[in-house]
Amino acid sequence: MSDELDEIQAIFFEECTEGLTTAEEGLSAMQAGDTSADVIAGVFRAVHSIKGGAGAFGHTDLTAFAHRFENVLDEVRAGKIVPTPGVTAVMLRAFDLLSDHVSAAMGQASRPDDAAMLVELDQVLENKGVAGEAVAPAPAAAPAPAPAPAPVAMEAPAAADADPFGFEPVAISLDDLDGAAAPDADEFGFTPVHVDIADLDAPAEAGGGPGDWIVTFGPSRAALANAGEPLLVVRELEELGGKVTAVDTDALPALRDLDPENAYFVWTLRLPGTVEESSINDCFDFVAPDSLVRVEREESAPVAEAAPAPETAAPALTLVDMPAAEGALPSPREMAREGDLDAMLGMVQAIAETNTVAPADKPKTPDRTEAVSQTIRVDLTKLDMLLNLVGELVIRNSILSDRLSAADQQKVELPELARLTRQIQDNVMSLRAQPIRQAFSRVPRMLRDLGTETGKQVVLETYGETTEVDKTVIEKIGDPLTHMIRNAVDHGLETPEERLAAGKPAEGTIKLSAEQKGARIYLRVEDDGRGINRERVRAKAVERGIIAEDANLTPEEIDQLICAPGFSTAEVISNISGRGVGMDVVRSNVEALGGRLEIASRPGKGTSFTMILPLTLAILDGMMVRIGGQRFVLPLGNVIETIQPEQGQVKHTTPETEVVDVRGQYIPIKRACDLFGLSNNGRRVEDSLVVIVESEALGQVGLMVDTIDDRREVVIKSLDQNLFPIRGLGGATILGDGSIALILDIEALATASPAHRNPVKGMAA
Amino acid sequence: MSSFETVGDRKIVTFSLANQTFGIDMSSLIEIREWETPTPLPTVPGYIKGVTNLRGNVVPVIGLAERLGWEPSKIHARSCVLVVSIGDKQAGFLVDEVSDIVTIGSQEVQPAPDVQIGDERVIQGLVRITGRTGEGKTEKSEEESGQMVLLLDLDALSLTRHLDLAA
Repeated sequence: MSDELDEIQAIFFEECTEGLTTAEEGLSAMQAGDTSADVIAGVFRAVHSIKGGAGAFGHTDLTAFAHRFENVLDEVRAGKIVPTPGVTAVMLRAFDLLSDHVSAAMGQASRPDDAAMLVELDQVLENKGVAGEAVAPAPAAAPAPAPAPAPVAMEAPAAADADPFGFEPVAISLDDLDGAAAPDADEFGFTPVHVDIADLDAPAEAGGGPGDWIVTFGPSRAALANAGEPLLVVRELEELGGKVTAVDTDALPALRDLDPENAYFVWTLRLPGTVEESSINDCFDFVAPDSLVRVEREESAPVAEAAPAPETAAPALTLVDMPAAEGALPSPREMAREGDLDAMLGMVQAIAETNTVAPADKPKTPDRTEAVSQTIRVDLTKLDMLLNLVGELVIRNSILSDRLSAADQQKVELPELARLTRQIQDNVMSLRAQPIRQAFSRVPRMLRDLGTETGKQVVLETYGETTEVDKTVIEKIGDPLTHMIRNAVDHGLETPEERLAAGKPAEGTIKLSAEQKGARIYLRVEDDGRGINRERVRAKAVERGIIAEDANLTPEEIDQLICAPGFSTAEVISNISGRGVGMDVVRSNVEALGGRLEIASRPGKGTSFTMILPLTLAILDGMMVRIGGQRFVLPLGNVIETIQPEQGQVKHTTPETEVVDVRGQYIPIKRACDLFGLSNNGRRVEDSLVVIVESEALGQVGLMVDTIDDRREVVIKSLDQNLFPIRGLGGATILGDGSIALILDIEALATASPAHRNPVKGMAA
Repeated sequence: MSSFETVGDRKIVTFSLANQTFGIDMSSLIEIREWETPTPLPTVPGYIKGVTNLRGNVVPVIGLAERLGWEPSKIHARSCVLVVSIGDKQAGFLVDEVSDIVTIGSQEVQPAPDVQIGDERVIQGLVRITGRTGEGKTEKSEEESGQMVLLLDLDALSLTRHLDLAA
């Protein structure tokens, strides 16, 4: 049992995390100036559902905080608090605390101290904004709760208590029998008098006090099915000073047609205008979303009239936002009543009838499910297994292809099978793909914290958040990303004073971008700070014994040193970065994913760290080539053309570099044999092939290989699963005969120098 | 290693390498395969012979002799590859010949002397075994009563990148 509860709770936490992401996105958008109703409502809903779930699981601290936060959001949503930058800033801080509360509820952190934040939130609530900020509309101060409703509240439960068995529909139908002749003047008819008195009192205190609330509540069938007891809601409203003024029983069928599981009543309650709207809305927190809930303020003279009339007048109609639905949908009940009104007004009778009849048979729910896309939660390991199986399927496919004669290979069945397999693979991959936004979502908060800690002002720019990456990649880049960003703020960016002195804006910029290029994801963290101090890095590396004192390193090689194990240049070890575990860990994490880390730095201009990650297990369209007699796979996506050089077409520019003349254009070429330290068995240039490939770093580059075997699709198997990533290789694949071919990494090869000249082999790996 | 705390018996697989007898924990052994030339990898330390396909997994094959600082093994008819799991990774070790599976008491393991240089950590301990293990090694007449087995610490042999960085 407790296991089950844990499971449900785990789902709640998952939803919390999603909710926090949504809320933060919304708040960030608000900070950026988008204060549209949709955005605000999104944040409100997210916080609201966290509150609801937390309450259900007994996380009282979280519930309490979320509630206070929600109060402010509710006012913002209702337009009573203007979301000025100041207010948004407070809400962002409150959001941070909410995240802390969620972590605490998960048991990942201790309970945060929220006292100061609560005071701040309450001040916002009280001042309708942040003190000192100009806020245009100054709504009348919240009137003190009128004492008058109290007796009403006392009386009302008494009426409801007349039904001690809690089966509300029966109680009301009895009322209905009593006052059947004139539901407009039911036995509660005297109650509005009390409300009138309250109203009379109120103006004296608050001057032109607000009109009464007219609350219409018609629970849906779903609400009853979910054990949503309408009586409890009605009682809750009565405790707020509400009074049932009318019960609409028009939908009640004859006894023999009565479905005991359906809901037939619509209650109309009158509440004192001094009650907070949010308090009323709170009563409907757990009512099924397709129920009819209408809260409206009666601004005209409060007449103790029966329900239907004010409904049609409908002044200041407010629809309560239900978490699951975009605004409460009109329930069958409401439609039914409107139909009657139409009839009364002499409008189209037929439509009215269909309206009355149709909804009763057809619940509204199916319509809603069409709008909301359905999802199921699947254990990731199941997807992993599926993906592996599909990978095996692809390999078997190619084995089968190898076994068949050339003539059979061309027949339609095999290509068809290959195509289907490919589609399955693509689909399974897409199941696991998630927008990288998830990994980016925690960055804004981190920057706020870092900004506070370091006193540096940071602006975040993000690009390509929608790039889709395998879920495992997203999970694993979190830590490296965190570290890279901490590093960029702590070491990369200067203090505002330094920046101004250097002629830069006081605010530092961190650019976070993601893009997919071929089978790789490029994830870049770029700052516009001071760049890597190569002098100091070099001195430190010598001091730490990482390099020899007389080592001759290029600036790029020096930059790489910051990723060496145990390297940290921070003169003062801060608690942000600089524990000496920094970039070393980042690099090993990235490499554990089969990726690599590239560092580019320009002194005084900034530094960029690029994580180049594979899209995990994927199919690669490859060209089988032979290098030094050994088979390799060249990703076809990079290949532009292949040429067989004639004598004199390949020319040396230096003793170690060559170019090939392609129709008058000189393209640098690399001998793959040399790069891998393989022997070319004395093969002449004229007997080799040059594959011209497009590389990101150097544009077109020619790669000299022995021969080209064929073209085929291969499944990428990472080398680091059992080994470590090797520069120049993107992985390995298993061929049809069971042997292994290595997959070339064009980018790394294009920029590589021949193996025997590589001075720091280990570092470059 | 934790093995020193283990009470009771351990099963070890013994094998010969460069005329020495080595042992690894039986529990780490996945399978023993015949030698098959693996696909060589470029720009890796020489002791990594390449990678091979083990039921769809790409597994590195390590020349254990070179890795431990001995002369490289010569491939012959009885050469074989011990496929072991180290943590969550797999690796194949090329050895000269697999000898036996023996049971030793944990208390029989003597700590490796501190005199070795370099990779001293890869030897977890020394153990003396008696009986049929020496059968195939007639030249070891001076060790009639028993034979020294060097127990390897597989974790220390794992192919994480710090090993090649240390080069």
